[in-house]
Amino acid sequence: MTSTEHGRSEIRIRGAKKSFSGRVVVDVDDLVLGDAAVEGLLGPNGAGKTTLMRMIMHSIPLDEGTVTLHKADGSTITLSELPAHQMMSHGVVKSTQVISDFDQLTILDSMLLAVAGSRHESPLRWSAEKELAAEYEDEIRHYLDYFGFTDPNAIAGSAGEKKLLDIVRCLLLKPEVLLLDEPTAGLPEDVTQNVMSVIRDLGEQGTSVVIVEHDLDVIWQLCDEVTFMAEGRVLMKSDPETIRGDSTVVEKYLGAGHG
Amino acid sequence: MVQGLSNEPSGRVGGVDVETSDLAVSLRSLPNWAIALGAVVALVVFAQFSEFVAESLVIGATENAPLVLAALGFALLYRLTGLLNVAFAETITLGGYFAIWLTSSFSWGFATAVLPAGIMAGALSVVTYLLIFRVARNRNVDGLELIVISFGLALFLRHALQFVFGYNTRFFETPPPNTINVFGVGVPSFRLLAVASVAVLSILIYQFIRRTSYGLQIRALASNDGLAQASGVRPLTVTLLIWFVAGLAGGLAGAFYGVGSAVTPLLGSRQLLLILLVVLVGGIWDLLGVVYVGIATGIALTAMTLLFGSDLYAQLILILFFLAMLKVRGNKLTDGSKV
Amino acid sequence: MLDWLDAFLISGFFGVLQIIGLGLLVHLQMGLSRVANFGVAGFWGLGLYVFGVLYIKVDWPFGDPFQFLICAFLATVASGLAGLLVAWLIADLDVDGALVGTLGFATVVLILATTQTELTGGATGLGGMRFPYDLGPAKTNEFVWVLITTVLVGAILLYVRWVHRSPYGRLLIAVGTNEPLARSLGKSTTRAKLTLFATTSALMGLLGAMQGVMFRFLNPATITINITLAALAGLILGGITRVWGAVVGVLFTVGLFDIVIQFYAPLPQEWFTQAIPVAREAVFGAALVLVLLFRPKGLLGEMKRPQLMRRIHDFN
Repeated sequence: MTSTEHGRSEIRIRGAKKSFSGRVVVDVDDLVLGDAAVEGLLGPNGAGKTTLMRMIMHSIPLDEGTVTLHKADGSTITLSELPAHQMMSHGVVKSTQVISDFDQLTILDSMLLAVAGSRHESPLRWSAEKELAAEYEDEIRHYLDYFGFTDPNAIAGSAGEKKLLDIVRCLLLKPEVLLLDEPTAGLPEDVTQNVMSVIRDLGEQGTSVVIVEHDLDVIWQLCDEVTFMAEGRVLMKSDPETIRGDSTVVEKYLGAGHG
Repeated sequence: MVQGLSNEPSGRVGGVDVETSDLAVSLRSLPNWAIALGAVVALVVFAQFSEFVAESLVIGATENAPLVLAALGFALLYRLTGLLNVAFAETITLGGYFAIWLTSSFSWGFATAVLPAGIMAGALSVVTYLLIFRVARNRNVDGLELIVISFGLALFLRHALQFVFGYNTRFFETPPPNTINVFGVGVPSFRLLAVASVAVLSILIYQFIRRTSYGLQIRALASNDGLAQASGVRPLTVTLLIWFVAGLAGGLAGAFYGVGSAVTPLLGSRQLLLILLVVLVGGIWDLLGVVYVGIATGIALTAMTLLFGSDLYAQLILILFFLAMLKVRGNKLTDGSKV
Repeated sequence: MLDWLDAFLISGFFGVLQIIGLGLLVHLQMGLSRVANFGVAGFWGLGLYVFGVLYIKVDWPFGDPFQFLICAFLATVASGLAGLLVAWLIADLDVDGALVGTLGFATVVLILATTQTELTGGATGLGGMRFPYDLGPAKTNEFVWVLITTVLVGAILLYVRWVHRSPYGRLLIAVGTNEPLARSLGKSTTRAKLTLFATTSALMGLLGAMQGVMFRFLNPATITINITLAALAGLILGGITRVWGAVVGVLFTVGLFDIVIQFYAPLPQEWFTQAIPVAREAVFGAALVLVLLFRPKGLLGEMKRPQLMRRIHDFN
C-alpha cells in the first residue's frame, strides 16, 4: 500500500451496514473520510451520521462491512476488527454527541487522564503523578488558558463546559483522525470561534478532521469537503459550494431560503 | 439490568409473544406444551432402561421442585421490575418458618399450611417492597447500590428472624408422609405437591400475563425498551402483584425445602447462588426458560450427587458450568451506545 | 507487662484490623472502579487456606520465620491469581453478572475448603499453625502479631491514599464513572480491572494468611459471606468513595460490637453466646440498608477531588 496522496490519515468505509430493531440506520457502500483537511458530514436528523461515527470507533459493532484506517505512512489497519479502546492508539479519536463526562473527576483530572499512558497508570509507579504533570504541564496550561477554564480544579458544571472539556480531551490525544460530533452545540459564540480556529489549525497541521454539525455556518466556514447523508446512505460528496447549491440537498435538508 | 427482557427481538414475556417477526412466529408455532409433552414421553421411555436414569429424573425433578419455584419467583421480580433481589432468599427461609409456625400452632397438616405460609411470604415480600425498594427507587438508588441494599436486607432478615423463631434448626412435627411409587422410585407425597405447585404457578403466571388486563399492562410496559423508566409509570397495583406472586413462589419453595429436610436461618441463602445462576442463565431465553433450566439443573444435581456420592461436588460442577455459560453469553455491559 | 490486655480484647482488635484491611481493598474495587465484589470472603479465605495447608501439610526444609514468609507469599500469589481469573470472568459483564461471578467464586472456595478433607480437615477444621517467632507468653506473641498486622493494614491505608493521588487511581475512577468514555480515550478498561483485582485480591489473601497465624486453625465457618458483608457494611457506613471510609466505618460497626459491647457493655453473660453475635449481623444488615437509603455517601460524604487536586497540583 502506498502512502495517502495528501499526507494525512484517512478512513475508508466499505459495505458498512447497521440496523436497529430491523430498521436500517446506516448503509454506506464506499466512503472515504479524511481526504480533505476538514470534512463535514451533513444530513437531516436520522440520517445515520452519529451511528456511522460510532461504527468507525467500533463502540457499536457493524452488522456488515469493514472500516479501515489508511495512515499517512502507508500502513493500513482494519478498525472494525479492533476493540474500541485501541482506536486512540492508532490516532483515531472522537468527541461525543451526547454530553458525557466523568462525574467525580475535575477538569484537570480529565486532562491528565487523557494524556496519561499505560506506563503512568501502573498500580505501583510511585512518582507517576508528578512525572505526568511535569511532562504535560505546558500543554495543559495552554488549553486551560486558550479556552478560558476559570478553575481547573472544579468539576465541569455546565453542559457547555462538559462539551468543551470533551473536545480538549480529544485534542490532548493528538489525533491523526479526529471525529467531532456536534462540537459547538451549546457553546457560547466566542468559545465556538476558538474551537473553530483550533480545528482549522489541526487540519493544516496534518490531522484529518471530520465534523458532524447542525450549525451550517460552521460547516461552510470550516470544511474543505462535505459529505451529505440521508436515510443511512451517502448521497453525495463534494466541495461546500456544490453541496450548498444542489437541489436534492436543498430539498431534503436545507430547505428553501438557505442557498 | 433487564436486558434479558428488553433486548429480546420478539419481546417475549413469560413465554407470550408480544410482537413477533414472521420468522419467529413460524419457529414458535409449535406450542410449548407439545414440546414439553414430547420431552416427557422421551424421558419416560428412556427411564425404563436404566435405574440410574429413572432415579435421577424422578428424584431430581421432585426433590428440586422448590428450586424451580424459587427461581420462577426470583425471575418474575428480576425480569419485570429489573431488580436483582438477594433478599428473596430470606423470603424462602421465612416461608419455611411460617409453615412450621402454622403446623405447630394450629396443628394443621403440612398440606393445609403450605398455601397460607406462601401467602404470608408473599405479604412479607410486598412489605419489603413498600418499605425499602420503593423508597430506594424514589431516591434513584440503582445498580450496585440497589444490590447492596438487598444484601443488607437479606442479612438483617436472616438474623432478625432468629429472635422470632429461635436460633436452632426446626423440624416439621407432621406424621411421616406417604410414599408414592413413580417409575419404580418412591417419592414422598409432599414432593409431588411441590411439583404440582410448580406446574400450577407456572400456568397461572403464564395465563395471568397473557389474559388479564394487568398482564396486558405488564406486556405493554415490558415490550418497550428502558424498563427502568417503565417501572416508574407502572401502576402500583401491578407492581405489588408482581412482588406478591414472587414472594408466594419463594414462600412455597421454602415450605417445601423445609419439609424435605429442616428449617434453618440459612435455608434460603444456601440456595441463593443456584437460584441466581438458574435465573441468569435460564433467563437468556424467557420466563419459561427459567423453569426448564431449573428442572434440568435439579436433574443434573441429583444425577451427579448419585454419581459422586456428594452433593457438594455436584454443586461445584454446576457452579463452574454456569459461570462458564455466564462468561460466554451472560449479561454484557451495555456498551458504548452513548460514545 | 501486658496484664491490662484481655486475651479476647486482642482478638477483638485483630478482627477490627482485618475488616479495615478488607474494607480498604473493597473501596478500591467498589468505591473507585465500581466493580461489584461480593466474593471478598473467597479471596481472603483462599489466602487463609493456602497459607494454612502449605504451612501445616508441607514438610519445609527450613523453619520460621522463613516457613511463614514463603507460605504467606504463596498465599498472596494464589489469591492474586484467583483475582485475575475472576476479573477476567466478570470484566465485560454487568453488575448482576459480576455479583454472580464473585459470589460463585467465594462459594467454590468454601466448597473446596469443606470437601478436600485430607488437605483442609473439612468441616471439622485443621490446627497446627504457629507464630513465626516465640517471645514467651502467648499473650505477648499475640500482641506482637497485632502490631505487625497494624503495620500491614497501615501500609494498605497508605497505598490506598497513594492510589487516590496517582494516575492509576484516576483511571479507576474513570472506569467507575464512565467506562465507555474511558475506553474512547484509549484506556483498556478490561486491563484496568484485571490489574485492580490481581493486586487487591493478592492483598486480601495476605490478610487471610495473617488471620491463619493469629487463630492457628482453619475452619470453613470463618470464610462465609458474613466477612464480605462486614467489610462492606463498615465501608459503606464510613464512605465508600473515601480513603478513610473503611477505617471510620469499621470502627463504628465491628469495633462497636467486637470491642465496645464485647468488653464494656454491662450485659448478661448468656447473651454473648448467641444473641449478641446474631444481633451484630442484623445491625450490619440494617446499617447497609439505612445508610444507602438515607446517606448513600456515608459518614464522610462525597469524594472530594477538587480539594485533593488543589493540594497536589498548582495549576491555577
